[in-house]
Amino acid sequence: MSERIQDKPLNIWTKSAAISIWFIPLLMVWIVPDMIDFPTWASMTVSGIAMGCLFFLMAIGLTITFGLMDVLNFAHGVFFTIGAFVAWRIFTLLIPDWVEAESFWINAAAILLAIAATVIINFVLGMLMEKYVFRQTYGDHLKQILITMGIWFIGEEVIRILGLSENQAFFTPGWFAESFELGDVLVLRYQVFSILMGLLFFVLIQWILNKTKIGLIVRAGVENPNMIKAMGYNLNKVFTGVFAAGAILAGIGGLMWAGYDENVNAEMGGYNLIFAFVIVIIAGPGSVKGTLLGAIMIGVFTNYMTFFTPQLAAASLVLLMCAILMLKPSGLFPQK
Amino acid sequence: MTNNQTPVQLARIHTQANRYKSSSFMLPLAGLAVFFVLPLLNPSYFIIDLATKVLVFGIFACSFDVMVGYTGVLSFGHSMFFGFGAYSCAILFRTMPESPVIAIILAVLCSTILSTIIAAVMAFFSLRVVAMFFAMITLAFASFAEIIAIQFSEITGGEDGITLQLPEYFKVTQNVVGWITGQSLLYYFILLACGLMLLLMLRLTQSPFGRVLKSIRENEDRSEALGYKTFHFRLFAVVISCILASFSGILFALWLGFVSPESTLSVTITINVLIMVLIGGIGTVYGGIIGAFVLQLFESGLPQLRVLADESLPQFPMLGELTQKWHLVYGSLFVCIVIFFPFGIIGWVKLRQLKKQTA
Repeated sequence: MSERIQDKPLNIWTKSAAISIWFIPLLMVWIVPDMIDFPTWASMTVSGIAMGCLFFLMAIGLTITFGLMDVLNFAHGVFFTIGAFVAWRIFTLLIPDWVEAESFWINAAAILLAIAATVIINFVLGMLMEKYVFRQTYGDHLKQILITMGIWFIGEEVIRILGLSENQAFFTPGWFAESFELGDVLVLRYQVFSILMGLLFFVLIQWILNKTKIGLIVRAGVENPNMIKAMGYNLNKVFTGVFAAGAILAGIGGLMWAGYDENVNAEMGGYNLIFAFVIVIIAGPGSVKGTLLGAIMIGVFTNYMTFFTPQLAAASLVLLMCAILMLKPSGLFPQK
Repeated sequence: MTNNQTPVQLARIHTQANRYKSSSFMLPLAGLAVFFVLPLLNPSYFIIDLATKVLVFGIFACSFDVMVGYTGVLSFGHSMFFGFGAYSCAILFRTMPESPVIAIILAVLCSTILSTIIAAVMAFFSLRVVAMFFAMITLAFASFAEIIAIQFSEITGGEDGITLQLPEYFKVTQNVVGWITGQSLLYYFILLACGLMLLLMLRLTQSPFGRVLKSIRENEDRSEALGYKTFHFRLFAVVISCILASFSGILFALWLGFVSPESTLSVTITINVLIMVLIGGIGTVYGGIIGAFVLQLFESGLPQLRVLADESLPQFPMLGELTQKWHLVYGSLFVCIVIFFPFGIIGWVKLRQLKKQTA
């Protein structure tokens, strides 16, 4: 592998510094409740975790493709936007009365329909992209970045031409827009739903990677691609599948994000791509656990920061990344 | 005597003897001459503005090329350094309007220090682990810088930006000596600065240091095995490139007389510059200027192009619309250049020459 991890043998100071990273989430949970009242803190934390779970859906595709295929995909944000765009189109054009209905089952059916459409579209697009564009660029990072950037621009513009030229309101299906009341804490149902979706996909991915034959091939492909080829598996097909899976997950993330943010626009993928990059970097490439943890950390952290210092919310993200990289240069869960 | 020399030495002696006659010396000289006489031939604002933008963005693209083409690390934060230069110039001009020369010198110093620190921090975080993380980390830093510039509006003017109070002798209407107006004085100042920076970059990339950088780009493991500390070399190249980018930012601020986050800090500028480098040819230094020429010409000619497309081919309204879908054109340019035209204009010319020699 051309990656080089130049970690020196850890001395006691770097070791303790590395351990101290794990106090960052604890600090968030300990210190912040003292500054604000409990209900605000609770709803803020829940929405932070929900945001983190959506970030996870976006970043996991990047993590796996980067870990397995050593590929940097700047067009990942486009799949995110496509998910939101498809859901918006379906909700506004096809089934507006399903969305407005207050019944859980009809709303859930609407969301499932949007998810199914996104899955199909992103699966096809992801496969085509891997097969006809990406395959020519394996091994050359510079080429990959440039080509995927081009696709990013084209995709964004095409989405604009297809009707999303400006910011549009996205209506969350009626039942999900309400909130649960637990004592004096208000928790949006949609956020709980987002968290459940994130955890569901986390468990699903962990199960596929660790318990199934496909997962075994994928994991082995990360370790030693040549050996897998020598054993007679068609690694190209695995790559195509993994890439398409990443695209699908990003699409679901985008769809869910549109409901969370209640907005859709053509730039949302590019904007969230930065968050996804930061998460992939701090997670350590190829680590699913690290991605979930990093995503929730970023989600909660940005949410607190937006509350306390709205101007510096995005800046704090960079600072958090620097702090983590300073202590653990190869991410939270480095491979090997 | 000639018998004792290896073919490589002979070839080197041959190129040294012919170095003032070769096209790689004459062509840039001709280009310089064109830039020099341009204000004399046609002192219209359109032409001089185009020439200056080609110069400034050309140098900016060249500095980007020193990083991308010679070390193989791609940065999306290069516009941030451009913005550092532009903003330090604008802020210093505002704080000391009475002594512009000192302001420029101080701006050079400030932007050098700031760029060095930030570039070193970015490089430290990303190059140490996986060099390609650099692209992601710089993207995060660049959007961070843009947000800061918009948020801290007391210092940076927010989204409205800062208008520079140019010194008297750089003003457009001022007649300095004879035919030299303030505008052309500023133009010559920028030409001089750009020429010096280009010389510096050429010297750097053609020195043994540049060769080490190239070897790192081609095969990092091997150059490390040869005993070069690749991290240090990359770090140095990145820092130099960022400093030069901030200098071009200063020149841009001086020429435009106005600085705003959108015109100096946004990531789209980095992407423009990336396209310039790709058009001209990666890893050639001169490629940046050629790419800047092509792109600036295209950009300033775009309105005419739109009118032309509407008038000459009215049955295809798509064409006129296409010129408005700027991103679509950009994206296709990226993909097409990378797949079909990976070495840019200079690389293509060099390839042709090589084929002619071997044929």
